[in-house]
Amino acid sequence: MAINQSQPAERLPRAGGVGPLLLDDIVVDDVVPGIGHYRLAARRLRRDRTALLFGLLFILIVVACLLAPVYSHDIARIGPNVNNVTGTIKVDGHTVDVVSPDGIPVGPTWHARYFFGADTNGRDVAVRLLYGGRTSLAIGFMAAAITMIFGVAAGLAAGFYRGALDAVLARLLDIIWAYPAVLLGVAIGTSLALGGLKIGPLTIEGNSIFIPAFLIGFVYIPYVAKPIRGQVLALREKEFVDAARGLGCGSVRIMVREILPNLSSTIVVFVPLIVAGAILLEASLSFLGAGVQPPNASWGTMIQSGLPLLTTSPQLVLVPGGMLVLAVLGVNVFGEGVRDALDPKSQIRLGR
Amino acid sequence: MTRPARTSRRLAAGAALSALFVAFLAACGGSSNSSNPAASTSTGVNGGTATIDMASAPDSLDPQYGYTVEAGEADWITYTPLLTYAHASGVAGTQVIPGLATALPVVSNGGKTYTLTLRSGLKFSDGTPVTASDFTYAVERMLKLNWGGDSFFTQTIVGASAYLAGTATSISGITTNDSTGKITIRLTAPYGAFDNLLAFPSVAPVPAGTPFTNEPTNPPSGVGAYIIKDVIPNQSFELVRNPLFASFHIPGIPTGHLSTIKVNIITNTTTEAEQVLDNQVDNFDAGDTVPAALLSQIKSQAADRFSLQPVETTYYFFLNQSKAPFNNKLAREAVNIAVNREAFQRLAGGTINPGCYLLAAGLVGHPTKPCPWGTLDSADLSKAKSLIQQAHLVGAPVTVYGEQVSPVEQWVEYYAGVLKDIGFDVTIKFVDGSTYFPTVGSQTADPQTGYSAWAEDFPNPVDFYLLVNANSIQPVGNRNRSYVNDPHIQSELSKLDVVPTSQLQSVASQWSALDYYVASQADELVFGYGTAPEFFSDRIDYSTAVFSPIWFNDWSTWELSK
Repeated sequence: MAINQSQPAERLPRAGGVGPLLLDDIVVDDVVPGIGHYRLAARRLRRDRTALLFGLLFILIVVACLLAPVYSHDIARIGPNVNNVTGTIKVDGHTVDVVSPDGIPVGPTWHARYFFGADTNGRDVAVRLLYGGRTSLAIGFMAAAITMIFGVAAGLAAGFYRGALDAVLARLLDIIWAYPAVLLGVAIGTSLALGGLKIGPLTIEGNSIFIPAFLIGFVYIPYVAKPIRGQVLALREKEFVDAARGLGCGSVRIMVREILPNLSSTIVVFVPLIVAGAILLEASLSFLGAGVQPPNASWGTMIQSGLPLLTTSPQLVLVPGGMLVLAVLGVNVFGEGVRDALDPKSQIRLGR
Repeated sequence: MTRPARTSRRLAAGAALSALFVAFLAACGGSSNSSNPAASTSTGVNGGTATIDMASAPDSLDPQYGYTVEAGEADWITYTPLLTYAHASGVAGTQVIPGLATALPVVSNGGKTYTLTLRSGLKFSDGTPVTASDFTYAVERMLKLNWGGDSFFTQTIVGASAYLAGTATSISGITTNDSTGKITIRLTAPYGAFDNLLAFPSVAPVPAGTPFTNEPTNPPSGVGAYIIKDVIPNQSFELVRNPLFASFHIPGIPTGHLSTIKVNIITNTTTEAEQVLDNQVDNFDAGDTVPAALLSQIKSQAADRFSLQPVETTYYFFLNQSKAPFNNKLAREAVNIAVNREAFQRLAGGTINPGCYLLAAGLVGHPTKPCPWGTLDSADLSKAKSLIQQAHLVGAPVTVYGEQVSPVEQWVEYYAGVLKDIGFDVTIKFVDGSTYFPTVGSQTADPQTGYSAWAEDFPNPVDFYLLVNANSIQPVGNRNRSYVNDPHIQSELSKLDVVPTSQLQSVASQWSALDYYVASQADELVFGYGTAPEFFSDRIDYSTAVFSPIWFNDWSTWELSK
């Protein structure tokens, strides 16, 4: 069932994951007789060349990162965590130190090995870039999944049941929301990185990528749950919900079968935005030492470890930084294209 | 006294919140004076002001609390103890000379009683006369303020531990006579390095009545060439000449040339180095590490005012022998064989010197024999792997602890990589610098292996042998992090501990044999010895500046160039 709805402005995560956007008046139906909502959206998306181009860019980055083991094993022939501090390499016929006695790593060779040069420990930057991308993207997707599952569930329950449950959940979400995401991430991440996480029989080691994924997923829950709650508050008063009640449907069935489908457009719009925000937040946390733990690479840890050599080896920062920019830009622009396609009347403006 | 407190720590500069911002920024983006005694002929001018940039603020400028390198630099020329070190570079700077005492102590009762006499006519910088009992007051205050090295005194002076525990109202082992200036100290057992303990600024007299609380912003008056003033925590402080000090005519202790020494706390060492290179600031603090990215530039552009001075600091990884896998000597041998010590040097930008012995290269007793584990610039991974296989330790889990600061992070990652290469299942745990050493020194964490370092508190090998002395094993604040408990080491230490520092040369061969034995047992994985930067602007007369092996830059010898 399609609905028309309007609702108060709600905050959404901004691309940088730092501040919110205001989403005014999401209109989720744009029905043209004979063509389904999603088919129509797909048709609009196909016409948005910019979105498709950036989506393709993001897919290329994902594929390249997935092929990291192939590049590492068959092309560079060196693993992502293999130190080579005292080794040498031939560049244009000259034998050079991978890391000089003064601690300066070799720059880009533009050859299979050390294509983007070496880092301070003599590790191949190109290999670590791809492996780091796997880590960053995996955390981004896992975090987005956690956020969406728990955010939608919390928003749905709070909006549908209202009353005491809504009051408790809303305040909990406010508390998480009120705490700056990066600071909350650093506080929890630093603690978990040392001691790991134990919940009943579930034990996660401190250096597991599940720690930053869980952490980032957790801090973004309010950014999804609160808008969802707002929509559910409006939806639960609609006639089709009354009709379902009249037919004797239980609360869970109404939420899952009647309300959730009407939230699908919003959820689809949220996913790429949350993925982009999660990738950036992971980079920030890893940069600050509270995300991915060494020796595992992520784009954030690579930027952090390259920073002291910014003046002599800028590629150590520029290469992972550039990759991060492209990945986030790709998923963000594509996400906006998806949003426009699903809801061409939507207006998103920056603000707080 | 724990090494970590004297470690100068640099915090990572900046805190960019996103890689986008970082990437944007990135896109925009001599002559040796090693033998100069303090008494060398002045070629500069008296008076003037020098400015120092310091990356880590002193833990406190209160002499009875401050314990870091940065605190020591300021305190040793502000608070002269009964004994002190010669104001000279190199080995000459390790000699203990009389400070506020008239002479070196008279040792009697089989090395258990030390008698000294306070110089007459001394006054604190506020004009208060100094009395012999002010020494006792300083020792009591130091203990009550829990100074980082207080255990040196509680373990040696009769009644000091009872006083610290609160079961005694005074230290029974110290008696003084204010009218004669006589000070008598009784020890629980002979301790050859006790002269050195009396040379800590932490036991320099302070006026009786000084509060028994840490006074970081208003440090007490002292007797020294300079007075500390205008302390703004974590921002800046100043030293000005003490007008009274020259009248005491204490031999061998400079009265200072500069009128004012301004110290700025600036956490970014890159900015710090650039400012000195550009002559905007006069000194890069010796407790800081020159960024590797600038080292080559500094060496080429400022060769006549920059050098890396060797200091007695040993860098190592402890190997906990109380638990698997390092309770197996084969495992300890394997890691000693598997690491290339030159790699650690490169990871530190060339600012450490590779080595494998516990005693740093400049200490009496440092072995001259080649390292028992091969040359320092090579590694034998295949032999190490076979040792691990022989010990049936392939796949054994090992957690490596590391301090979250450069270059320790790089060292730990390299070391962890080597452990993995030879067959261990490795996990790294990085701990913030502020809590790292308490963490690894605690039996609660009980780490298998991890980074550690030890800087000399005084120039006697016994200081370094706290690290393998079974008596140092403690549940909290443990220094013997490898849990070494070797009867041969204990037996040798019982003989060597009592030898006075001034007579160390007579037992150099015994220390050397012991240190070679410790290396052969692979009790630790020692990989190098420290250096400290001596880096000035053109304004300072580099030729007369003293670099103390104990307290680093001797600000009281600095003068402006003519």
